[in-house]
Amino acid sequence: MALEIVVMVKQVPDSQEVVIDPVTMNLNRSLTRNVTNKADENALEAALQLRDEVGGHVTVVSMGPPQAESTMIECLARGADRAILVSDRFFGGADTYPTGLTVASAISKLEKVDVIFAGEESSDSSTGHVGPGVAEFLGMEQATYVSSVKYADGFIIAERELEDGTEVIKMPTPVLLTILLNANVPRRQTLKRKIAATKQGYEVWNLEKLGMPPEWVGVRGSPTIVRKMRPIKEKERAAKRFEIDQIPDLVRELFEIGALKLEEMQ
Amino acid sequence: MSDFDFIVVGAGPAGSSAAIRLATAGSSVLLVERADPPGSKAVSGGILWGRDLDGLIPDWEKSAPVERYIDFKSTSFLTRDSKISIDFRSKKFEEKKTGYSVLRAKLDQFLALKAKAAGATLVTGITVDSLARKENRIVGVVQDGDTITSDAVILAEGANPRVAIESGLREPLRDRDCAIGIKQIVKLSEATVNERFNLTGNSGYAGEFALGYLEGGVRAGGFLYTNKDSLSIGVVIAMENLRANGSTYSYDIMEKFMEHPYVKPLVEGGRVQEYSAHLVPEGGIDSMPKLFGDGYLIAGDSASMTFSNGMIIQGMNYAIASGAMAADSLLEAAKKKDFSGAALSSYQDRLEHSQVLMDLRKFRGIDKVTWSRLVHEVAPGMMENILFSMFYEDGNPKKHLAEIILGSLSKANMKRSELIMETYRMLRRM
Amino acid sequence: MEVEEKLALLNYKTDPSYAHITVKPSICDVCPDHFCTFACPAKCYQLIEGKLNFKYEDCVECGTCIIACSHDSVTWTNPKGGQGIKYKFG
Repeated sequence: MALEIVVMVKQVPDSQEVVIDPVTMNLNRSLTRNVTNKADENALEAALQLRDEVGGHVTVVSMGPPQAESTMIECLARGADRAILVSDRFFGGADTYPTGLTVASAISKLEKVDVIFAGEESSDSSTGHVGPGVAEFLGMEQATYVSSVKYADGFIIAERELEDGTEVIKMPTPVLLTILLNANVPRRQTLKRKIAATKQGYEVWNLEKLGMPPEWVGVRGSPTIVRKMRPIKEKERAAKRFEIDQIPDLVRELFEIGALKLEEMQ
Repeated sequence: MSDFDFIVVGAGPAGSSAAIRLATAGSSVLLVERADPPGSKAVSGGILWGRDLDGLIPDWEKSAPVERYIDFKSTSFLTRDSKISIDFRSKKFEEKKTGYSVLRAKLDQFLALKAKAAGATLVTGITVDSLARKENRIVGVVQDGDTITSDAVILAEGANPRVAIESGLREPLRDRDCAIGIKQIVKLSEATVNERFNLTGNSGYAGEFALGYLEGGVRAGGFLYTNKDSLSIGVVIAMENLRANGSTYSYDIMEKFMEHPYVKPLVEGGRVQEYSAHLVPEGGIDSMPKLFGDGYLIAGDSASMTFSNGMIIQGMNYAIASGAMAADSLLEAAKKKDFSGAALSSYQDRLEHSQVLMDLRKFRGIDKVTWSRLVHEVAPGMMENILFSMFYEDGNPKKHLAEIILGSLSKANMKRSELIMETYRMLRRM
Repeated sequence: MEVEEKLALLNYKTDPSYAHITVKPSICDVCPDHFCTFACPAKCYQLIEGKLNFKYEDCVECGTCIIACSHDSVTWTNPKGGQGIKYKFG
C-alpha cells in the first residue's frame, strides 16, 4: 500500500532575529531572514519516516511569497518527492481562515491524499489554527499535538502528548495530524539531494490554478481585524528566600499579596 | 561524464567570483556553501578595495550592498594616553572611488545570487566533507558518502580551509600564518556616524590603529570603519605574541581597544549588534600553499591571499581577482580538455602577472614589520615623546626638533643602532 | 561588556547531534599552558577548578583553537550544513 502524504510547511522569520519596530509594533522584516518553521521540519520528518516505512510519496505544500523558494528546495533536499508553493499576491495578508481554505483548496487538487502532516503551530503567529482548519475544510479526521505515528491496514495510530498523559488513537485514513515541535530529529539535507532538488524545482500554483474567488482569499477573505497592538509590560519579579521553619511566614505573605486565597469547602 | 564541469567550494568573494565567470562562459558549475544563506559565516574587517568586480558585475557599484565609499583614510598609533594619526582625506576619492565598507552577510549573498543568475547551481547549507580522488587527481567532492564529480574543483573555503587541509593540499595553519580577528558591529544613527567622523553623504572613514599600549609583548592592530548606520570595529591579534605572553585573553584586547580614551568617544552610546571572530591570513607569500594541482585550484583566503602593511588591509579584492583568474584558467584548460596540474599552472602565471602575486612577492616579510616591536612599542612611544615635547609649553627655552628627536631616541627602549636598522628595514619592506 | 553578553547577541543554529570540535581530555588534563583558554575569542575553552572545560555550542567557527593548541588535542571540523553560527552582518 502506497500512501499519498502531504506536508504543510511555512516559511517564517528566524525567531532568533526577530526585531519589533517600536513605533508600528510590526515585525521589522528588513532585519530578519526567513527559515523553515521548526515544527514543520518535524512534520516533514514524520512524513518521510512514514513513507520510508510504508511506501508512497510525500508532497510538500506551502503558501507564501516567492522567497519561500529556499524552504521548498530544503524540503525536497530532505527527501520530499514533490513541492508546491501556493503563491499569488491575492493571498497576501491572509489570516488563518483563508490560509486554511487556500491550502485545503490546493490539497484538494491532488489526486489522492491519505495523510496530511502539519507542524503544531508556526513560530511567527503561534495560532495552531491552520492545520485543524484544513482538516475541517476537507472534511477530514484530525489529531493534534502528535508525537509519533504508525500505519497499519488503513489506520493511522498516533500518540498525542496531552497535559495529563499520552493518548493513543487509531483513526482511519484520510487523516490530518499536527506534529509537535521536536517530536523527532529531522534528517539532514544532502548535497546530492539538494542538487537534484534544485534541478527538479518546485511548482508554483496561483489563484487561477486553484480556481477560488478572489474575495475568499488573502486580506479580503480574512475575518480578523487588528484594532490595536500593544506591548505587554513585563511584570516585575522578585525572589525571596525562606527557611523551612519560616513557612508560616511565607504562607502569610502570600495571603497578604493575594497570591493565595482560601476557598470555602462545599 | 562528470556531474558538473566545475565545482566551487565556498561562496565567498573568491568562490562566487569564480562561479560567475565560469557560469557566464556557459560552463555547468556547482557552487556549494556551508552557510545558509551565503555570508552568514563570513567576517571581514569590512573594506572592499579596488575595482576587481568591474570585470564580473558591470553595474556592481549601483547594485551591490555597499555601505559607504571611503574618502577618509587614517592610520594611527595609540599609546596609553595619546593618539598620533596620519589622516588623508581627498575629494579625489569621490570621483575615483576605490574602497567601500561592506558587510559580508549582505555582500556574499549578493555575489552568490549573481552566480546563480549567471547559471551556476547554488547549493547552500551543505558542508563538503572531502574531495573525491581518482589516481591522485581531484575529480569532485564528497558529502555524506555521495560523490559529486567534476572536471576540476576550485577551493575557496576562506581563512580556515578544512577541506584543503584535510586533503593534504595545504599544510595545517601555524602561528605565523594567521592572526586572530575579533570584530563588533556597533549601531549608531546615520547622523551620528556622519557627525563623529565628519562625513557627508555616503562618504566613509577607514582607520587602522597600532595598539602601542598593550602590555606583556602582546601585539594587535585595531580597525574602525564606518558603515551606513553602524561601525565595524575590531582587533587583529598576532598569534605568536599572544602565545608568548600566555596570560592575556584575546577578547579582552577587543575591550581594551574600545576603551582607549580616543576610541571610546567614537563608539559611545552605540549598541553592540554583533560580536564575531575570524582568522586573518597573515603570512603572505610564505604561508601560501601550492595553488594548483591535478584537478584543483585554490583561491582567496584559503591560499593566504591577503595584504597588510599596517596602513591598509586587503583581502577581498585578491579573493575576487584570484577567483576570476582561477575560472579563466579552467576555461582555458577546458578548451584542451586537460585539467592536469601542468595545464592548470596557467593559474599561477596569471597570478604572477597580476597585482595579487606581484604585491605578495614584493611585500614578502611585511608581516615582520607590521608586527615588529618598533611599530607596536618603540615608534609610538617615541612619537608621543617628540610631539609632547614640541607642543608642551613648559616656559623653558625651546629646543630644535633635532634635539627633541635625539632626546627621545635616548629615551627609547631600544638600542640606537638597532632602531636605525629596524627603521631602515621597515621602510625598505613597506 | 562581558563576552557572554556579546555571545548572547548571536544567532546560533546549534546542532545537538554533532560536536564539530572535540578535545582529548587525556591531553588537556596534563596541558602545561592551556593557551586555548586565552586565544579562543568565544570563551569556549575555560579552566574550571583547574580542569579544562570545552563547549562547542558557543563556537563562532573562527578556527583559532586548532592553531592555538600545540598539543594536538583539538579536532576541528566544519559543522554540518547550515548549523552553527549565523551572522547577520559579518
